[in-house]
Amino acid sequence: MTGRRRYHPFFALRFMRRTLLLYLVPLVQVLFRRDWAALSTALAQDLVLFCLLAAVSWVMLHASSWELDAEGVLRLRWDLVVSFERTIQGSQLAAVQIERPVAYRLAGACRVTLYPALLPRRQAVTLCLKRRDAALLADCLMPAPEQEVYHPAGGERLAFVLLGANSLSTLLLVWLAMRQSDSAAGQIAWQQLGQAAAWAARWLPAGLAWVLTVWTFLFGASLLRSFSHTVRYTVWRGGGVLASRGGLFLRVERRFRLDRLTCAEVRLSPAARLLRCYPVYLTAGSCSADDPLFVYRAGQEALVRRLLPGFEMPPRRRLTFAQVRGRSLVFLAPGGGCLAFFLLLLLVASWALPAAVPLLALPAAVCALWLAFEAEGLFREGAWPVGRRLTFLRQRRMSLCCVCIFSPAAALRITQSPWAVLRGRASLTFAYPGRLRETVRSIPLADAQTCAAFLERKEPYDPNHPL
Amino acid sequence: MEQPFDLAASAVTPTPRGRAVLCVWAALPGAVAAPFLFWQGFWLGCVFCACWAALVFVVWVRACSFVATLGSRTLTLYLGVAFPVERVIPRHSITSALIFRTPLLRLAGACVLLIFTPGMWAMLPGIPLEAADAISAALLAGEDDS
Repeated sequence: MTGRRRYHPFFALRFMRRTLLLYLVPLVQVLFRRDWAALSTALAQDLVLFCLLAAVSWVMLHASSWELDAEGVLRLRWDLVVSFERTIQGSQLAAVQIERPVAYRLAGACRVTLYPALLPRRQAVTLCLKRRDAALLADCLMPAPEQEVYHPAGGERLAFVLLGANSLSTLLLVWLAMRQSDSAAGQIAWQQLGQAAAWAARWLPAGLAWVLTVWTFLFGASLLRSFSHTVRYTVWRGGGVLASRGGLFLRVERRFRLDRLTCAEVRLSPAARLLRCYPVYLTAGSCSADDPLFVYRAGQEALVRRLLPGFEMPPRRRLTFAQVRGRSLVFLAPGGGCLAFFLLLLLVASWALPAAVPLLALPAAVCALWLAFEAEGLFREGAWPVGRRLTFLRQRRMSLCCVCIFSPAAALRITQSPWAVLRGRASLTFAYPGRLRETVRSIPLADAQTCAAFLERKEPYDPNHPL
Repeated sequence: MEQPFDLAASAVTPTPRGRAVLCVWAALPGAVAAPFLFWQGFWLGCVFCACWAALVFVVWVRACSFVATLGSRTLTLYLGVAFPVERVIPRHSITSALIFRTPLLRLAGACVLLIFTPGMWAMLPGIPLEAADAISAALLAGEDDS
């Protein structure tokens, strides 16, 4: 259907990027012996090496090709000395992701990642294609006509920005950026941070001022990143495919085949509860995005069902102490352990180093909050079949995750310790396609067996499901 | 005439000979390591042998507790005495099955059946060959709609 096509030249650049360290080899001797007379020779050797690697990249670019046939089968070929061909059936794909960072957009390239429905993440295929080729490939493999469209606007977009902000991932990105940037930029950044901390230290103790300044900086960077993600953001459903597109600096388009979805998750974080807007995350095959697909307001559950037909929330149950009886206290261990540690430090600091008390009080307060959320997990975590789906509630850090499993290929594992046997409790692990796992802890054994019996029932899922 | 294995009428468990082979496998690394520990010290070797014997006993107990049952939609595996584990695998999610035999297992008339699904894999150790054949044929044939 498409005939044989070549990858974008950025495909070769990806190979050349991996060989950057090779250029240091001729320079090692010059730098260690400080033999500056030999520098020109080393640079000439680097130039030869660059020409050689560029030639290898050019050969690689011309030896590899891709082709999509009329049956929706994608063939990735290599023809040089040896020939091999990888075949990917379009119907076996769970998700397609097209990314366009700024550098790729300037060069008219796209990074396309294909996630097979049943294989782990390391077997996902990443291609570097021209923009038109990427659009053609996505349209052929997962056509998504716009039948139901959703644009976050006004308050919803603001909530989307706030709920998509993740200080931890931003911390990682900032750290990577500072490692890759030159030392002068890093010094300037630290200088600016120091000035901001000094300003905050007029009202706060010095250590606390530093902590709050760094957190504010990270949260601001995270908000900016999240805001850029929501620029021109659209979610639409059609032709059995759910798709999203948007982003300012990094434009990302994701397409999920609805009959290959693994699970959908509504994450009730503290911010989501305050705003009464809940983000929805999707997992399909091994594709599990960090950013929410969309956000809905409390009372707008119809929007979720419109975009995700068949979605079910875990049942809302009254909280009673009977639910907690016999439950493992492992729920409280991480938060409780950290809180005890900081309380101990506070106790010691109160007579040994009173100036450090405010600095230690902040993490102690955060741990107390964490413990409160873990206590909520103690009451609410569980798994239940609802309608034609298995659903479960799982506490993760400070968020309560409401998960609806779509995949009929999810297997269960019920494990018990001797104490759990005595108390009639069990931990239930869901094993999804793509080797992803999720465990619900210390639920009543009867609930776990109800979930197991649900899989044995005759019509839990659509009989026409492709699996 | 050879009797076909009746899956519906019986749960599959490892045969006594199959369990013995599993214990031999478990004992083998200990038997190889033991001389080196006796070389370090007689009592160290004795303690190591006692620990390894306990480990082999645990393997035997767990093999004794292993039961696989085939439902119309799922394959269920039960395992463990003090730490019970139950695995429920939808039959339609099973992508492949592998029957594994060594000379020792062949002598014992048993085999190891490995079952692969997109999310996990499971092992049915030391079960009779006829049962493994019947299970893999039933699993790969799809669901029982009767």
